[in-house]
Parts: sequence; structure tokens; C-alpha cells
Amino acid sequence: MRSINLGHVGRIAAVVLGGSLLKMSLGHRRMLRPHTAKRRGAPKAGGHAEAVEVERSVTIGKTAEELYRLWRAPETLSRLLGGFAEVTPVEGDRMRWKVQGPFGQSVAWETRIVEDLPGERVRWESLPGAAWSLQGAVQFRAAPAQWGTEVTLRLHLHPPGGMPGEAAMRRLRAVPGGLVLKVLRRFKSLAETGEIPTLKNNPSARKSASAHGKRVC
Amino acid sequence: MRALCWNGVNDLRVETVPDPQIVSPHDVILRVTMSTTCGSDLHFIDGYIPTMREGDVIGHEFMGEVVEVGREVKKVKKGDRVVVPSFIVCGNCWYCQHDLWSLCDNTNPNPELQMAAFGQPTAGIYGYTHAFGGYAGAHAHYVRVPHADNDCFLVPEGLRDEQVIFLSDAAPTGYMGADFCGIQPGGTVAVWGAGGVGLMAMESAFLLGAERVIAIDRFPERLRLAREKAGAETLDYTQVDSVVEALREMTGGRGPDACIDAVGMEAHGTGVGYAYDRAKQALHLHSDRGQALREAILACRKGGTLSILGVYGLMDKFPIGAIMNKGLTVRTAQQHGQKYVPRLLEHVARGELDPSYLVTHRFSLEDAPRGYEMFKNKEEGCVRAVFTP
Repeated sequence: MRSINLGHVGRIAAVVLGGSLLKMSLGHRRMLRPHTAKRRGAPKAGGHAEAVEVERSVTIGKTAEELYRLWRAPETLSRLLGGFAEVTPVEGDRMRWKVQGPFGQSVAWETRIVEDLPGERVRWESLPGAAWSLQGAVQFRAAPAQWGTEVTLRLHLHPPGGMPGEAAMRRLRAVPGGLVLKVLRRFKSLAETGEIPTLKNNPSARKSASAHGKRVC
Repeated sequence: MRALCWNGVNDLRVETVPDPQIVSPHDVILRVTMSTTCGSDLHFIDGYIPTMREGDVIGHEFMGEVVEVGREVKKVKKGDRVVVPSFIVCGNCWYCQHDLWSLCDNTNPNPELQMAAFGQPTAGIYGYTHAFGGYAGAHAHYVRVPHADNDCFLVPEGLRDEQVIFLSDAAPTGYMGADFCGIQPGGTVAVWGAGGVGLMAMESAFLLGAERVIAIDRFPERLRLAREKAGAETLDYTQVDSVVEALREMTGGRGPDACIDAVGMEAHGTGVGYAYDRAKQALHLHSDRGQALREAILACRKGGTLSILGVYGLMDKFPIGAIMNKGLTVRTAQQHGQKYVPRLLEHVARGELDPSYLVTHRFSLEDAPRGYEMFKNKEEGCVRAVFTP
């Protein structure tokens, strides 16, 4: 991963959602489609580049109240981000996001909750003055029949202008849909089974499998 | 540990890999006592199903002994001898709770890889491409079994590994295929493919009340097993001008009430249609040879049932017009093993089903590449090769 120079693209996506997810998605770029990431606004000379807004939904077999509580539990976001990003509550409604590599340095960043309706909706945004303007929202709505709850996660990202920002956005447009979906599906698995499916320590003959196993047979 | 790894198209090697570990609270680690080849492995070994990665451990049909147990595992205990269906299920999602186990929502760590091709992701499976989860397979000394309470089935005392191993995949797949047929008294079921799954489908059709079963294949030893072990009538497709016509004649002009495709995307056949498929597949213009499936559709009686067990990708030239105009019911799925394993264990324990005759060749795990070669090329009448670590 270190050999891939993601530059600003990597930084944004890592800050938004965590490096492992980005890695997973970029690793399978050909399988993904830049489907419904929407373009908002026009590029402004010397101002901000175009924004990306992405929205994905998943149905989870739990009540909206249960899902809200799980989403708000202090350790949940870090688990959904696959261990690469730590999200810790700071004072008040603020959260501190810390992303360890894969870029060889950690990036820290804060959001604050701007709307909090238990069992219904949580909305957050980056603190004023952050280089990358970010807004996110998760919404819980009752599903029909016995399906539980429809959960929608929306992210709105507005980077600074200039060449790097615009280039980053061009590439990013193909990525966030997959990332948002991945986070939602991990949330679903966590809510429904108490764990997230993982290939951690998965045996293979690849070097990357590392020497984690010790059983003698 | 040692494990059979895929290294590229038709390049299997036994290599030393790290041992699996408990990584999630519902996991167990199984010491594999027996695993077997499956026809659907051939699709990715041959390179027709993408998303394999060099070094992947393969194998999805297996049984063994529980040697380590995760902290949330309630029913399965250390020392249990169990058989494990090939699809990994959580037991909690809507699909699991509606007996649609291979559609489980929560066991595929790479759902996005399938969503591009299928719209929604399915369950994970051991050793069967990263689109199907990327989990290490069971042609190995040890395998990690997630959600063990839903995925491990205790083997009753007194049954041999050979009698039970196919309850991991071939038997429940075949049973499901027959179950899909909605067999009525006096019903006739035709089964394309007399390999492990096809033979199990034939036996299951009788267990579910069929009066006649007709097996279609070309290998004499498989047709003999269909006759002698499963009690089917047989049709060697290389000996007739038209399978469809032959089946019509065998059924008073009506066609079989239900047709089961137990062949899949690498079907063999005769004539122009087969040559067309073979050429297009060789040029990678499509992934599937649809000979068996097309014959099943055309042969089926009007208003009958088409039950598809064979694995397919993005087949072209699919005779939807025949399905539509003849009012066929199409039933298909990857195996919902967790639904059928308990009743199959009862059939085996009562002596009503003994799949052990599928074992035609035995190898140590170290010789597994040779086992796959014999299985793929049907050398020496190989129906299934089993491996013991």
C-alpha cells in the first residue's frame, strides 16, 4: 500500500472513512462503478473544487432504537472503519478521528454532531476551518414487514480548490460509494451477529499472510 | 500447516501456510479429517470464475474435529466430530431465518465484489474466490469455521467419514435440487450430470417420491453408478442424435416433469451448439457453456420445473422463450446446506442413503494436485477424490 502514491485522494478518503476500506476498494477498482456519486456546484477559480455527495442504504433486522444506540456507542465507528481509524468522543458532541497510515503518518481531525435525534438521525460535520469540508448523516427508518430498519448513510465532501483538489475529486468520485456501502454492511453484520466478517489471519501462501500461525502438525 | 493452494490457472500446489486462528467470537478451528474435490472448483481452477488470488487455499467440502472454540460459541464443543456445509452462514439475518442459507447477508467480507455482477452479495464460502468471501479453504490440516453454532453439524456415532463427507455439499445440493422439483406421485425427473451432485439428486428424487429418474451423461462408469447405485435409467448423450428427442420418446412425448441441471458452466456436449460454446469460451467471449442447461429447458414438459444446480456466470443464448412459452417454473440456488444436513444425517443413519460410493480415489493431502488432475480428467473412472491430511 505504501508504494501507491495516493496523495490528496488518499488523505481525503482516509480521513473520511479509514485507510483499510480505501485499500480494499482501490484493490478492486475494476469491479466497482462510479455509480451515483453526485456532483454538486461548479468549480470556482481559487475557491473550492466540486463537491461529492454519496448516499447508500442497507436494511438491518433490528429496531431503529437498537441501531441508533449501537451507532452512538463509543467504539462502534472505530470498528466499522476496520481498525485503521480511531474515532473517539471528545468533550461535548465532538469526535476526534485519527487515521494511522497507510501513508506513513497519522492524520487527526475533528467533527461535531450538529443534529442528534435518538432512533431517527445523527448528523455531523467538520469543525469550521478544517481544510476539507465534510458533512455526514445516518438516518434510521422503519422497513416494511419484518425487515427491521432501513439505514441510510450520506456523506458530503467539499475539498479546497486548485489542481490537487480537483484531481483528487475526479478520482474520488469512483470510490466513496463503495466505501460508504462497506461501512453500512459492516454495521449491519455487527448489529445482526455481534461481529464483522473478516479475513484477518486468513491462511494463504502469499507473503502477506505473514507468520501468524504456530500450530505444529 | 500444509494446504492445497491455487497459484494460477491449472496450477495447484501443496504449500506450507500459516495456521488459522480464532479471530471472531463465534469461530471454531477444525482439524480436517477429510475433504473432497468438487466440480465447481474446476471453474476457478480453469480460470472461468475470476477473483482468485495467487496463494489462496482452496476446498469447500469437508468434515473434521473441533480443536478450538471461540468465546461466544454455545453449542459446538472441543472434540466434536462435525460436518460443515460449504456456505458460511450467520443464522441471524432475514435470509438465514427464512431457510435461504446460501444467501446469508453477513458472512461475505467482500460484498462489493459480487454486487457488480449480481446486484446483491451472497454468503461467503470456503476456498472459493474473493467474490465469495476470500476465506481460506479446507484442503488443509486446519480450517477456521465462523459462526460455528450454525455451521457445524454433529456426526452421529458409528458413521464413517466416507458416509458423511458429502453431506458438506454434494448431498444437500442434490437433495435441494430434487426438493425444488415439487415431485408428485408418478413423477419423472431427468438429471443432467452423473457426478457427485447429480447422483445425489437422483437418489434424493427417489427419496422424495419420484417414480422414474433418467440420468444423462457420457462416462460409462458414471452411468453405471446412476443405474446400480441410484436406480436411474440412463441416457448416453453421445449415443443419440438428440437428447431432447430421446427424452420425449422415453416419456410418451411429454418430456420429464422436472429437469435438474447438475452440470454447470463447463458442460460438454455434441454438435454445432457445443462447438459454438467451446469456441466462445476459449476466446473469453463468454464464461459459460450452456449445453446441458439448454437441453434441460427444451426437454422439460410444459408447465414443468427446471431446477438448476450447476454454477453459471453470464451465459448468453439462454432460451428464455422456451421457458416463457412452456410456462416452466425455474428454481435454483447455491446449496442451502443448513436446511438439509439434519435430515440427510437421519437418512444416512437409517441406512436410506449411503453416499460413500462417490469415493473412487483416496489421496493424502500432499498428493491433492494429482487428485484434482484425475478428478478433472475423469481418469480411471474418478467420480470424487478425497484427501486426508
